[in-house]
Amino acid sequence: MVLKSPLYNIHKKLGARFVEFAGFEMPVQFSSIMDEHLTVRKAVGLFDVSHMSNTWITGKDALKLLSLTAVEDAARVPVGKSQYTVILRENGTIIDDTIYMRLPDKIMMIPNAGMAEIVTSWLNTQAKKHHLDAQATNVSKDFVILAVQGPKSRETLQKLMKENLSALQFFGCMYADIAGVRCILSHTGYTGELGYELQITPTSKAEKVFNAIVDAGKEYGIKPIGLGARDTLRLEKCFMLAGNEFAGGRTPLEATLGWTIFWDHEFIGKPALVKQKEAGTFQRMTCLECTDKGIPRHGCEIHKDGKKVGIVTSGTLSPCLNTGIAMGYVDPACREVGTVLEIMVRDKPVKAKVIKPPFVPKDWAQKNS
Amino acid sequence: MTHEVRPDFKYTASHEWLKIKGKHGVVGITDHAQAELTDIVFVELPQVGKQVKKGEELCVVESVKSVSEIYAPVSGKIVQVNKKLEDTPDTINKSPYDDGWLVELEIAQNSEVTTLLDAEAYKKITK
Repeated sequence: MVLKSPLYNIHKKLGARFVEFAGFEMPVQFSSIMDEHLTVRKAVGLFDVSHMSNTWITGKDALKLLSLTAVEDAARVPVGKSQYTVILRENGTIIDDTIYMRLPDKIMMIPNAGMAEIVTSWLNTQAKKHHLDAQATNVSKDFVILAVQGPKSRETLQKLMKENLSALQFFGCMYADIAGVRCILSHTGYTGELGYELQITPTSKAEKVFNAIVDAGKEYGIKPIGLGARDTLRLEKCFMLAGNEFAGGRTPLEATLGWTIFWDHEFIGKPALVKQKEAGTFQRMTCLECTDKGIPRHGCEIHKDGKKVGIVTSGTLSPCLNTGIAMGYVDPACREVGTVLEIMVRDKPVKAKVIKPPFVPKDWAQKNS
Repeated sequence: MTHEVRPDFKYTASHEWLKIKGKHGVVGITDHAQAELTDIVFVELPQVGKQVKKGEELCVVESVKSVSEIYAPVSGKIVQVNKKLEDTPDTINKSPYDDGWLVELEIAQNSEVTTLLDAEAYKKITK
């Protein structure tokens, strides 16, 4: 069965084209991917990301369960903070990357689209196995998730709430009334721009919030944004897309997510990572910017001197740079910044240079306004 | 939204058009097709001199998120390609029937032309 966002009819009215993604029929674009992409970089955009999952983590051992099952030690995460982390199998490969929010009363985790059942059942299995008083409860269908992203996102949302939004730090989270509706608000996003994400329940109240944000953002040129631009926006910032970058079983070390690991605590998958780290011979996530014309896509081979040295996991044309960009796994010897590799697009080599992430820097919009 | 269909052109069900120029035919994609693709950002053109068969891949047109193969509406030899599209692929969006043409073919068999859709028939399939 294909699920629809509770806001499906609003999207339809706004002229969305739809695509099926992780079992949801979601807007892929409204005006055009280019236009929506640049709107987020330069002004503000509103995304419905209700295909993402919501899981409550409860019980007196909730933090212990999170510490055990994720690479960050949850004991270090204070109330009012959102934490990006990854959940591993025993062999060190990634089940999912996620953000959990430590709210005053409980913890909400946001697994990826289509991952709610897999993640909750993994967490509950581990809780039982380790005799922890903790439960994960999939409540995805009770929530609408909106993302307000772009340099004008703060001004837009501030109009709809009493609390001083500037006081909410990056990766902070809180309960807030937005347009009179109680939301979980976090200073997070997937675009690399100033931005916020809102969890709204019951879903019947989401339409009111959506429309209020559209009205509040009107003076800044707010637009609804589809999944197409969401993907190009995250790719320009080298953010991982679980279904692409972790497919087939990749460890956080391979995915260059080593910075998320707090080594001074015990977690599932740690022994495997320690072993891999010592060996050091694994492929790693690498960001490539094309110097030839051509657009790399998922699955393209990466070559050096005619030999395969890697594979593209995500590729697109960068709307900001107007060049092909790609993320992929590359042999350790071939990924120094500046190295020129060849991406095979329809059997033809397209030259691409290894860059230091991200493709598009923070000040891009100011320099290109 | 209704898209332009040129009355004197021939069409395929896969949204290519063919304009007859004596023994030659000019090929492009329809207004409907460019609107579906949106933002065309890359065009891979074939070599001049290449022989193509009706229904075979003629070139590739990419939008930000999609890769679309364009098929030869008739068989023939490629005599010219629209090089301008390499620098300004969005010309196809702006002018699908004129400046956004893709290739010019020397038509191998006139009989193949009669199997194509006329404007009225093409309008029906895009309704």
